[in-house]
This record gives sequence, C-alpha cells and structure tokens, in this order.
Amino acid sequence: MANYEPKIVGFLCNWCTYAGADLAGTSRMQYPPNMRPIRVMCSGAVDSVYILRALLEGADGVFMGGCHPGDCHYVSGNYKARRRMVLFNSIMKSVGLDSDRVWLRWISAAEGRKFADTITEMTEHLRKKGPSVFKEKWEV
Amino acid sequence: MKGTIQVESKNPEATIRGLFAQWLKDGKLSAILTPAYSAAGTATVALVSNPEKLAEAAPLLPAMGVNAASIVDEIARDGSPNAKVGLFLRPCELRAVVELMKLKQIAHESLVLIGVDCPGTYKAAGFRNVRGKDADFDNKHVRDQAGYADNVNFRMGCQMCEHSKPLVYDLNVGFIGMDPDTELWVEAASDKGKTLLEGSEIQEQDEPDSRKQALEKLSAARRAKTARRIEELDKAMMGPEKLVEYFADCLNCHNCMKVCPVCYCRECFFDSDTFQRDIAEHVRVSLRKGATRMPSETMLFHLTRMNHMMLSCVQCGICEDSCPVTIGLATLYKKVSQNAQSEFDYLSGRNLDEPLPLVTFRESEFLKVGEE
Repeated sequence: MANYEPKIVGFLCNWCTYAGADLAGTSRMQYPPNMRPIRVMCSGAVDSVYILRALLEGADGVFMGGCHPGDCHYVSGNYKARRRMVLFNSIMKSVGLDSDRVWLRWISAAEGRKFADTITEMTEHLRKKGPSVFKEKWEV
Repeated sequence: MKGTIQVESKNPEATIRGLFAQWLKDGKLSAILTPAYSAAGTATVALVSNPEKLAEAAPLLPAMGVNAASIVDEIARDGSPNAKVGLFLRPCELRAVVELMKLKQIAHESLVLIGVDCPGTYKAAGFRNVRGKDADFDNKHVRDQAGYADNVNFRMGCQMCEHSKPLVYDLNVGFIGMDPDTELWVEAASDKGKTLLEGSEIQEQDEPDSRKQALEKLSAARRAKTARRIEELDKAMMGPEKLVEYFADCLNCHNCMKVCPVCYCRECFFDSDTFQRDIAEHVRVSLRKGATRMPSETMLFHLTRMNHMMLSCVQCGICEDSCPVTIGLATLYKKVSQNAQSEFDYLSGRNLDEPLPLVTFRESEFLKVGEE
C-alpha cells in the first residue's frame, strides 16, 4: 500500500489515560494523529467484542489505556482488564492471529509525556509491521 | 461412603433403575432427571417422578442430543423447599452445571448431583440406526466401551474427552474398571449423597486399583488423540487466511450459541439491537473494503464467543453436533479453551469453590501485561 498510514482505535479510561491525553494536548506535546480516541469509563469496561470489531473492520491497531494497577477509580477495573487481556492474547495465539496489534498500557493523568511517547511508539511499530490483513479482507 | 453394589442378572441399567425407584418411593427425591429413550428410540431426557414410569428411563443410554445442563438451566434457576431433584448426568453435563452455578444461573438448593461414568456417546441424530432393536444396547455399551478409548463413531467431543469420571458430584455411580455384570461402583462425596445410599446394600471398600488404572488409561489415550486432532486442526485453521476459510460456510444461525450449555445470557449480545444496521449503514460499512460478506460479522461472532465463553467451556462438543454446515468446532474449542483455562490454572467444572477467572484477580500477577 503506497500511502499507508496506520489507523489506531484507542479506548482511553476516563480517569487516567484520557486525562493523560488531555495533558499531552494542553502541554502542546507533538504526537502522530493516527489514533482515534474513544473515551470509556474504565479499561475494565471494554469488552473484547469492541477490540475485535475494530480489528476485523480493518483497524491496524487497537490501543487500550487504563490507570496504573492499584490506582483504578473503581478499585479493581484495571486488574480485570489485565486478566481479560491475558485471555484475549491466549485466544488470538490459539487461532494464529496477531495480538501484537493490540496494546494495553497504564498511563496516569499526570503522564502526558508517556502518553505522547506511547502513541508515537505504537504508530511507528505499526508502520513497520505494515497494514493489517483485514484492511482488504472482506470475507470476514 | 464408598463401595460396590450388586448387579442383578447382568443388567446394570436395571440396577440403577432400581436405585431410582427406591429413592422416589422413600421420598428422598421428588423427581429424577435422567437420559431416556424418545418415542423414536433416540435419546432424550426425562424428569421422572413416578417409579412406575421408570421403564422409560435409560440411565446408561450412550447418546446425547443436548447437554442436559441446558435443561437444568431452564428448570432450576431458583430452588424450592418443595422439590428435591436428582440430576443423573454425565461428567461434561455436571461440569456445565457447576459452571452455571458459579455464574448464578442454577440454584444448588433443590438439586442432588448424581454423576455417572461416561466412556463416550453417539449423536442422538441417527442413534436409532446405531442401536437397532437391541434392548440390551446400553449394557453392552457399558461392558464393551468402558476400556476402549478410540471409537470413531462417538461424538467428536467424546472422542477427545479425558474426564470419563465426574469431577464434582454428591454421588458417583461408576462402571469403568469394574465388572458391570456383577457390580457397580458408588461413592458419596457429601451428606446429600450419603442420604441416597442409606438403606442400600453396599460392600464398603476403597476405590479399586483396577478402576483408577482404567480411568487413567482412558484419559491418557484421549489426551494423545486430542494432541493428534489439534495438530491436524492447526494445519487447517491457524492464521487469518485459514481461520476465515475455516468459518467460511457459517450461516450465522447461532445454533452453537443456543445449544451451548454454558452460554448463559438470556439475550445474546449478538441478537441485540447493537447489531441491527439499516441499509444506509450497511452500505457505509461496505464502502470501507468495497464489499461485505453477508450475513455480516460471522467471524466477529465466533471470536467474541470464544472470548466470552472459553473459560467456562466444558468441551462437550455439542456445538459441533448442532452446526448445520459441520464446522469443526469441537476440536477448535477444545484447543482454545484448554489454552485459555491453563493461563489461569483453571479447569471448568472442577470445583464449586474455585472462582471464575474473570471475577477475581491478584495484584501481583501478569505483571508484564500493560508494561511492555
């Protein structure tokens, strides 16, 4: 694909990562515009169906951001998100799909720098990997 | 309490019916859910309450059309002080009942779990041809198949099953590694189970070594077969190209979800309005890749079902039996669920006190996830 720009769907927790993204913005930090942020109340509230739907419809990557372990606004949502991620990765591996396109990261409201760096890193990572096979594959 | 009971006139099935009759007459149970012959001689399930009607019950019937946990899910959502129902179920059915109890779909209160050994079953469809008019078919099955691991006519789920003895039960009725013409194994694991055995003539003893060895041998053979099947599966299924091919014939009928004993939502997310698109929306989605497969989002359905259900999957394989386009779901779900459950050192239906992996967590686990 000639003009390949990675397309990332991001699920950002309202209390930490979304605020971290906000801080990156208000601090005028530069990072690639490849991620479409979706604000969710908790990383533990993101069902696998939304990650899978994004991937199967052709997103090159899915980013999930939550509070650091121990800092969840709802006490344990991110621990549950972590377990669900383990399950998700196991299933992707079992059927031979690439779970390397789905990133879960803990980014607090104070970590604007970390947010900008992580999105930059993920965009570059996906640029190297090339477009997702599901971008063209319509028979899913 | 554990030991053996005498089998009369080489008929273990009649002996079990005799136990049923006793339990119903003594009022220890108000009804028993048991496999039974249908009007067509195929397999069905009956809730028998009158001992006179026990001739219809076929506790050792080796055919399965439905995982009976689905039926328990329908009838025992709540308990009642006015009913005490004995569930005479196979190991995979009991495992599913245990999972559904943990998922708060089945109330334990009115139920007594009676688990029977199961060396494997045939599909209910076509079973009348397998059985013919042989009235002694069930007993022959118990006699001949108990030590035989590789019956290719069994349901695919059964061919890979390594749990021929129930994992959780109040009472286990067993025949594997025994001489079922003369004696059956009975083992009460709880007070409910002990109550059932009171008054019966039991030769108390420890589980015979022959039984332990026969069960272990059967499990080992099945594990080897599973490994071979998964090796073949991987050649046909791994990776995006092949995975899409594997599910290419899917009609989106959702049968696999409807017959699944542990798929417990009253309304499936995939039947909800979330997946209703109007025609303009369909066109908009189609424009993204230039075309959309119809019916749409079948791959999403299967992958999501895996994410939702694999930790409770009991690998009964009833999904494959119910698939109108014969997608090889039993082996696929065997592999995926084994891998998923082992991540959390979990085994579905193993223990009522073991929490479901997704409702619990430890702070100091999976520390790399989310960090790199």
